[in-house]
Amino acid sequence: MLILLSILFVASGGVAGTTDRLSEEQERCLECHAKPGIIKVFQNNESLDAFLDPNTFHASVHHDLACTSCHTEFSGGLHPERQFKSIQQYRIKSSLICRRCHADDQISKHTVHTGVLNTGKPPVCTNCHGSHGIVRISGKGAFTNEEQYCMKCHNRPVTMHLKNGERQALVVNTLSLKMSVHGKLSCSDCHFGFSSEEHPERMFRTGRDFSLASSESCRRCHFDKYTKTLESIHYTMLSQGKLNAPVCTDCHGSHEVAPVGKERTASAKRCQRCHAQEYDKYAKSVHGKALFNDHNQDVPVCADCHTAHTIEDPFSLDYRERIPEMCSNCHGKTEIVGKYGLSTNVVKTYLSDFHGITLGLYKMQKGAGAKPRKPIAVCTDCHGTHGISSVRGSDAAVVKSNLLKRCQKCHPDANEHFPDAWLSHYEPSLKRSPFVFIAGFVYQLFIPLIVIGFVLQILLHIWRYAVNR
Amino acid sequence: MKTRYRRFSTARIIEHWLQLITFSVLVVTGLSQKFYTLGLAQWFIMHLGGIDMVRLVHRGTGILFSLAVALHIGAAAVGIVYKRWQPSLIITKDDIANAIHNVQYYLGSKNYPAMSGKYNYTQKFEYWGILTGGLLMVATGAVLWQPLIATRFVTGEIIPASKVLHTNEALVVFLIIAVWHIYNAIFSPGVFPLNTSIFTGYLSRERMAHEHLLELARIEHSTPEEIRMLHPEECPFEVMPRSEGPADPPKDP
Repeated sequence: MLILLSILFVASGGVAGTTDRLSEEQERCLECHAKPGIIKVFQNNESLDAFLDPNTFHASVHHDLACTSCHTEFSGGLHPERQFKSIQQYRIKSSLICRRCHADDQISKHTVHTGVLNTGKPPVCTNCHGSHGIVRISGKGAFTNEEQYCMKCHNRPVTMHLKNGERQALVVNTLSLKMSVHGKLSCSDCHFGFSSEEHPERMFRTGRDFSLASSESCRRCHFDKYTKTLESIHYTMLSQGKLNAPVCTDCHGSHEVAPVGKERTASAKRCQRCHAQEYDKYAKSVHGKALFNDHNQDVPVCADCHTAHTIEDPFSLDYRERIPEMCSNCHGKTEIVGKYGLSTNVVKTYLSDFHGITLGLYKMQKGAGAKPRKPIAVCTDCHGTHGISSVRGSDAAVVKSNLLKRCQKCHPDANEHFPDAWLSHYEPSLKRSPFVFIAGFVYQLFIPLIVIGFVLQILLHIWRYAVNR
Repeated sequence: MKTRYRRFSTARIIEHWLQLITFSVLVVTGLSQKFYTLGLAQWFIMHLGGIDMVRLVHRGTGILFSLAVALHIGAAAVGIVYKRWQPSLIITKDDIANAIHNVQYYLGSKNYPAMSGKYNYTQKFEYWGILTGGLLMVATGAVLWQPLIATRFVTGEIIPASKVLHTNEALVVFLIIAVWHIYNAIFSPGVFPLNTSIFTGYLSRERMAHEHLLELARIEHSTPEEIRMLHPEECPFEVMPRSEGPADPPKDP
């Protein structure tokens, strides 16, 4: 029984603890408004939840006020039905309540309000301060720097209203900001137009619109990167109205921008948010396993192949033609792949074979105006893209069978002999492809001999002719 | 006595023109592929409309060349079988002996150059070099053109092997023509500026005495010695014995 009573006591403590601090009138209002589900519907069919968290209200600077101090049209027995065209109209009218106590003279002392008051539009106090959870802004104007000034509000859970009815958080984590690469910058370096003197009011349709607008700040310093993004597939998608295409802040974050290039795992994970399937394949690939399991920093991450900013359409012909070049960035360098027992001949053997030669000439042709007839096989056509697996230690028959399937993508009539046409990146030798090796070796001897023979014969003939004459 | 003799029929002249044209096109379009890293090769490929066009021209010309080779072999076989052609291009042991003899002559240990019939040993070696090389090129070119068909019958290694054979043999044939044939037909002091016999079909008696003495003797039902003695002014110095040194009578055919 004692235990049961204790549980009941604890269970009721939260409510009692809150309601104890509330006035009788407040309690009466909260009988309904502390319960979720009271929805106010506006004439334009927008809606607003009339829920009020008692704890939030109690923590606010206005907790001593009676509900009717602000909501003067309401009382214990009077709860008129009011009609508003929209949420915005409702908020503007609600802000008039604030202005009864906080007159223009008072609020204009704070420069942050100047921009709001000078717009000529009615200011909406709740956009920044909220409604029932308003907290005191301390500092009294004695700020040593701009950051302190801004953070007096933005280290709190301040939000802004969006036209779609949602709220956009505007809180900034001071520690993250200090730890970021931009820790030494002033707020207005990025938030151009905002300062201790100005704080224009801005309205955004959605949170995404806010993100897109915010990312524009980056170009003021990173113009080179910004111009690269203008050529990227992400920007193309964005300009086509696909607003989910990533912008600067989606990959780098906003106030917590970390140094790039040091931690390649983080770099790969940035892309995962949108490209989960590709990321999963990569994580299981020979490259991904080395990165995530062994923390190998030699293996490529997304940006090594796709680049960080000039991200091209990977299905474009231009991109495809650069794939051998991308692979050769590592597989053509002994200092990178040599330590894993991999040969740099893989690049050379591809480039000197039919496909490699054709590809090289196709690339030149584009500049000359002659259009390539068809795409040519590149590294990824045989090895795959994100899910590249190691062929080391694999069964030769399985490798050949897989190769045949890949050959058949372009050469549907290829039979089981056809993959042997490709020497699998090996240079011909007596052990591998002896016929090819012997043929090449014989000509290497024969051609110089024949040239020497011809030249000697000609010289002797001319000499004899000259002597006889 | 005739001042010139018919050496090549109209059919052979046409055949030579056909080979000259197809060979030139094949060399330019083929070697530009083999030496694709050279600026000149790339310039040519780009100006012909790209690598696909170059390959198309090369393969089309290859068909013409193959037909010309097939026609030549067919005509030669029929001609020899029906005794209308002399097998004058067959290499005999005399050709080997003549080659050794000529080297000795060039080095001064023989007084006479080797005498030859309708074709001398250099022409025979050149002919067979081009013919066998041409056949190899036709066969390997067909494999490279249709690798899927080729691998129905043989292992896939035939394709890289064909590439090695085709491209290297092309170089050999090119060197035979560019160095040896062009020297003998154009720049050799005895024929400069051009041996026109394959274009006109005729060779002067003087040149016959100079280059094909045995053939001239056969046509005139004479002997090399008689030709030399009766018409010494028509015999260039190469055919005449040198004044010094031991006598070295010419060898009978």
